[in-house]
Amino acid sequence: MRTARTYVIAVVAVAAATLAGFAAGDHITIADQAMLFLPAILIAALGGRGPSLAASALSVAAFDFFFVPPRFTFAVSDARSLITFTVMFVVGAAIGTLVARLRAAEEASRDREQRTAALLAFTRDAAAATEVDGVVAAVVSHVRAVVRVAAHVVIPDEVPLHGAVDIRLAGEAAVTPEQHAFVEAVAHQAGVAIGRLQLAEAARDAALRAKAEELRNALLSSVSHDLRTPLAAITGMATSLRERATGETEALDTIVEEAQRLSRILTNLLSITKVESGAAPRCEWVPLEEIVGSALTRLERELVDRPLQVNVPSTALAHVDPILIEQLLLNVLDNAAKHTPAGTPIEVRVSREHDRAILEIADRGPGLPPGERGQVFDKFFRGSTTASGAGLGLAVCRGIAVAHHGAIDAMPRDGGGTRFVAWFPDEGPLPEVVDDVGDEPVAIASAS
Amino acid sequence: MTGETILVIEDEAPMRRFLCSALTSHGFRVAEAGTIALAERLATEARPAAVLLDLGMPDGDGLELLKRLREWSTAPVIVLSARDREDDKVIALDVGADDYLTKPFGTSELLARIRVALRHARGLKATDDPILAIGPIRIDQARHEVTVDNEAVHLTPIEFRLLALLGRHAGKVLTHRQLLHEVWGPRNTHQTHYLRVHMAALRRKLEADPARPRWLTTEAGVGYRLKDE
Repeated sequence: MRTARTYVIAVVAVAAATLAGFAAGDHITIADQAMLFLPAILIAALGGRGPSLAASALSVAAFDFFFVPPRFTFAVSDARSLITFTVMFVVGAAIGTLVARLRAAEEASRDREQRTAALLAFTRDAAAATEVDGVVAAVVSHVRAVVRVAAHVVIPDEVPLHGAVDIRLAGEAAVTPEQHAFVEAVAHQAGVAIGRLQLAEAARDAALRAKAEELRNALLSSVSHDLRTPLAAITGMATSLRERATGETEALDTIVEEAQRLSRILTNLLSITKVESGAAPRCEWVPLEEIVGSALTRLERELVDRPLQVNVPSTALAHVDPILIEQLLLNVLDNAAKHTPAGTPIEVRVSREHDRAILEIADRGPGLPPGERGQVFDKFFRGSTTASGAGLGLAVCRGIAVAHHGAIDAMPRDGGGTRFVAWFPDEGPLPEVVDDVGDEPVAIASAS
Repeated sequence: MTGETILVIEDEAPMRRFLCSALTSHGFRVAEAGTIALAERLATEARPAAVLLDLGMPDGDGLELLKRLREWSTAPVIVLSARDREDDKVIALDVGADDYLTKPFGTSELLARIRVALRHARGLKATDDPILAIGPIRIDQARHEVTVDNEAVHLTPIEFRLLALLGRHAGKVLTHRQLLHEVWGPRNTHQTHYLRVHMAALRRKLEADPARPRWLTTEAGVGYRLKDE
């Protein structure tokens, strides 16, 4: 449309110059007449190189036809007129080219300015965005403003710092190199903006988590203090009374035992929140025998009437948090003591495979009812045959095993009863312990 | 009664009442403090033979009080703490506490700990006997000989040093750090697995059933104790 109009202007301008020539009649010479066409060519040249060439050609033709004798023919009587024609055409073409070049330069500079302004506006919008969606919206609107096509932004899962996003343009839009450069600059800026937002988001998340952790710990230590202190006083007072009591102490025994049970539940409650908070266990290489020994000593009273089979090689190391694994062992043993008939044996076995330690506790109780095998480790699960317990002990065990990147499972035992099997993967090679004062090295063979 | 004075530093009144009644009924005199400030005054005025210190005092850090106390007093300090506070216990033991009691505890545990602590405090002034006898275990420090039920046991030098150290502090808990420092030297206090493996070897040689130790007991997260009763 635009180009057609510039040609119409060229034709009209030449026609006007011709009419002006007629109007002037004999008052001007033929040379003046030629001059009248120059402004027409100039006007046409504003429309670009094509219109200016067209106007030049038309002017030469109109001049020849209407004004050069013999008039109203294209014939030429004087050969000198040919020089006038040539000069007219060359001058017209030259003017047109120059004007067109000027205009193109002007247009390019205006475009550049516009792109720079658009990029600036985009950068401002992207910087102000508080969410990734805001940056994407800015990309779409600014690309549309400059390139005039719809854009689609593909964001990689994790934008590397100073990386770019991928901007895809709709359809097969003809894109000039300048526009392409603009889109690339936008992609880069968007990448920086999104990277910054993701970093900020990660920092905010971390701060929130730390805050939540802090709150939880404050709450737990306050609960721990508030519940433990009365429990400690009750236990203490009851043992004091029991000492002085003459005769029957069963009631006092019950008070002491129940207070201790409450204290164990409290410990489990604290443990489960600790392992579920994602705090890494403090692992070191520990002979499992040490943990088994510590747990069996602490459960002496609960296991007093149980034949115990302990099969723990003293050289079997595991890379674990000794406090947590003792807790796991205490819970499984306590569970076995509670849910199997008095006098039935309990077996504790430790073994090693090439890159993990395995802890097994087996009883000769009634076994797990079918269908409950997978559920016993669920929080607050209370088995159909369960007599008491808050259903936390085994959930704590699973939490502890998982925190060690290991696992715990319960399965029926050959010949009746239940086997609890937990395993803990090694971290790095088994350590070698050399006696520093010149003893023979202490071999830490994996027991197989 | 002319019993020794025990300073009880505990902010919870019911707990304090239990401690006082248990101690007085066993012939001790008791000085009670519910605040750090009062505790500090009583520590000088009452000249306690031993101190029971709750680490969770509300008006100040029990640990700070312990450090200040250690600057001038050798009276044994037994720290009272909750089960999941192993780190606090270890720090307290490393800055000079003599032992700890995990809440909840009964009278018998309380009195056993106090007796061990008082005996060690007295032992500091007594002459060194080169022979230590703990249950069936006899440690001859001069001749580097160990017998269990009168049967000679061969120990490596490290094992002997460990056992003798635990024997000199029989009844008391020693932290991993204290044991590593004494046996391996100040630069090896983080090689806990050395200690654990050598303790396992010791249990194997001294205990009838090493997986159910009678004498060399483990205090999870804290250290080891050679029981003496």
